[in-house]
Amino acid sequence: MPGWYYDKKELRSTPSSQDGIDYKTEMRYRKEGARLIIDTGSKMDLGYNTMATGVVYYHRFYMFHSFKQFPRYVTACCCLFLAGKVEETPKKCKDIIKTARSLLTDQKFATFGEDPKEEVMTLERILLQTIKFDLQVEHPYQYLLKYAKCLKGDKVKLQKMVQMAWTFVNDSLCTTLALQWEPEIIAVALMYLAGKLSKFEVVDWIGRTSKHIRWWDMFVEDVTMELLEDICHQVLDLYSQTDANNTPDSPPLQSQKATNQPPPVSTQRSSNGNEKVVSPDQPPPVNVKVPPPSSDVPPFPYQTFTGAPPPVASYATPFAAPMGAPPVVAAPPHLTGPPPGPPPHITAPPPTVFSQYVNHPPPFTAVVPPGAPPFFSANAPPPNQPHRPYYPPPT
Amino acid sequence: MQSNNSRDRENHSSSSSGNHSHSVTMSMREKEKYIETFNFPFCDLTSKYEKVFKIGQGTFGEVFKARDKSNPKKFVAMKKVLMDNEKEGFPITALREIRILQLLKHENVVNLIEICRTQASQHNRYRSTFYLVFDFCEHDLAGLLSNVLVKFSLGEIKKVVQQLLNGLYYIHSNKILHRDMKAANVLITKNGVLKLADFGLARAFSTNKSGMPNRQVIALPLNCRCFYSVVSRFTNRVVTLWYRPPELLLGERNYGPPVDLWGAGCIMAEMWTRSPIMQGNSEQQQLTLISQLCGSITPQVWPGVENLELYKKMELPQRQKRKVKERLTPYLKDPYACDLLDKLLVLDPLKRADADTALNHDFFWTDPMPCDLGKMLANHTQSMFEFLAPSRRAATQMRHQSMPRPTTSAVQDSGYQDRVF
Repeated sequence: MPGWYYDKKELRSTPSSQDGIDYKTEMRYRKEGARLIIDTGSKMDLGYNTMATGVVYYHRFYMFHSFKQFPRYVTACCCLFLAGKVEETPKKCKDIIKTARSLLTDQKFATFGEDPKEEVMTLERILLQTIKFDLQVEHPYQYLLKYAKCLKGDKVKLQKMVQMAWTFVNDSLCTTLALQWEPEIIAVALMYLAGKLSKFEVVDWIGRTSKHIRWWDMFVEDVTMELLEDICHQVLDLYSQTDANNTPDSPPLQSQKATNQPPPVSTQRSSNGNEKVVSPDQPPPVNVKVPPPSSDVPPFPYQTFTGAPPPVASYATPFAAPMGAPPVVAAPPHLTGPPPGPPPHITAPPPTVFSQYVNHPPPFTAVVPPGAPPFFSANAPPPNQPHRPYYPPPT
Repeated sequence: MQSNNSRDRENHSSSSSGNHSHSVTMSMREKEKYIETFNFPFCDLTSKYEKVFKIGQGTFGEVFKARDKSNPKKFVAMKKVLMDNEKEGFPITALREIRILQLLKHENVVNLIEICRTQASQHNRYRSTFYLVFDFCEHDLAGLLSNVLVKFSLGEIKKVVQQLLNGLYYIHSNKILHRDMKAANVLITKNGVLKLADFGLARAFSTNKSGMPNRQVIALPLNCRCFYSVVSRFTNRVVTLWYRPPELLLGERNYGPPVDLWGAGCIMAEMWTRSPIMQGNSEQQQLTLISQLCGSITPQVWPGVENLELYKKMELPQRQKRKVKERLTPYLKDPYACDLLDKLLVLDPLKRADADTALNHDFFWTDPMPCDLGKMLANHTQSMFEFLAPSRRAATQMRHQSMPRPTTSAVQDSGYQDRVF
């Protein structure tokens, strides 16, 4: 039984890639689907956990099926629909479809077919079987908050750092990081990144002991700097990708033009080398020490941000534009409580939750078998004989 | 896994791939074919089991006893997920039960083995039916208690109640409420191991919805008032009427683990009375029965009860004395048993014993000590389920008596829907 984590080689030999979809296109499809889940969810006031759960279902789904078999936006809606129920923030299927439709072009929405709801319903069963009914998914958010509570230092700076890390976690949903690393590790890596960028250096923390070199040694073991930086790069590379609108659309979307459509060209090469995101021959599992460049690697090697790291404020815009406003930017989390999160806001429960009960028999009227008064008739003496029915004696 | 997968892809590649640029989305036919032939690596077909017979009706579907074809000595219980009238796809109640069962792994909680599917085909419009597959338990407590030939010694009763409370302690520690305690939902294996079953109405009661499953057992301040502030507003239409605690009958929505402890008290008493101790046929009558046993429901014995939604709407018998011990003594000779029941059947949920307190009660720590049920059950080779009892009776003669016991109230209040919060 596999867990839900894959190495980079496996991420390059997905059903989609075996179906002729090149890696970059697949990554773009994953990003676009994830983004639709986040945008639809945000518009419907769903909590960050619901959206993140939906995105994780989505990424897992495409480890078993090809983007050619299942168009990404239908799958995205289906994942959000299921995640809503699992996270106790259910939304009606038709409302999710309606919201998604408002966010998609007609051409993209055409992949939902003639009966979009039917399409999503059929897909839900396939989704459930594919993800092994593994409904409960953990996300980095909770770890982010947990870790932040232990860090000492300037409260304002710390809060700024956590907020930035939170945004990175939001954005990381558009990558396949959730298929590679446990949420604890992603949280550590993105807090490390946010710490670097917001110039918040953690020098002390609650629970520190002599064997802890870095604050995260308290929470995760055997995490190398290479690993952390690899994770950071995967997120940072999102921001350096070219605008998706300039790239040819995927085969699933071009139902009319598709016949003449050449396979998508890779036009997403980025300034800091998109290729770097994935080094298929060198997956760095946590426990394996990859040859250590650590001593001569500069502590903060991100070419993307040459010069001084931009202040937090300037991040909001570039991230918000592609991602939709992350919930936290609007209302920053503070460390005493969870960030503006999912208060249970449900407009109406699904109408059919208990429909299967409707025809059940009415309340039972107590039956008094002969010779055994019910326990509660006045002054009942202990019955000699229980008043339950007898089984026939075994023969 | 990978090999399975690639084999599957080969199977359908003939129909779906071909020309890359040509293949847009799958046609309906292709999609049907794909669904029919895809070998989901994590979701086996129900055909690996062979149905034996129906053993019950759960809150969201029928339950069958079945045999594992690859190991004929292995039996399982298969619970069908009813989806026929679902406008919103896979029922949220079933998703809850699955999630909760996946989280709860304990000797005294029924074990979910896997979820199986039927083959999707033209006959089911390419939509599989799902079954939850559990370890098979030979008996349920209602079935055992209704058979006079099954006689429990005091030590054996202690073992049953102790396991029941152990199960509750575990699920409450994991922040899960069962919400449907009743003898029929308490399973007993032939070796005498008790399993709480039917989590179809169960809910998490923490507001910590950060997706953090509370895997480690954490002691909860179950009996402090602040506890209630974290509970969301739930439906009060849960728990089968006869086992429903007074707070639910009075419309409380911020309830917690004490609702299950009330049910545990009712079940414990039933170990001696052999039938449910308060068989009301309406919510009003149930409250009357409770008042007659536990004394009048007043703000003196239960501070804050006057604020409950239905406190003024229900007719509450006045000047009733508490008679728990008095009425139960004729059945229960053991003073420790009476005393424990007196602490479980407490009107004010905040004063009701929690599972931990109950487990520390002298009842379990005085002679005769709890003792194994396996030996006694070995005398009974036939499965005893409540579900099977009425039909047997009907087969004999007392057809008019074969009415089933009530099930959970969501059943009775037809048209009522569980509010999600």
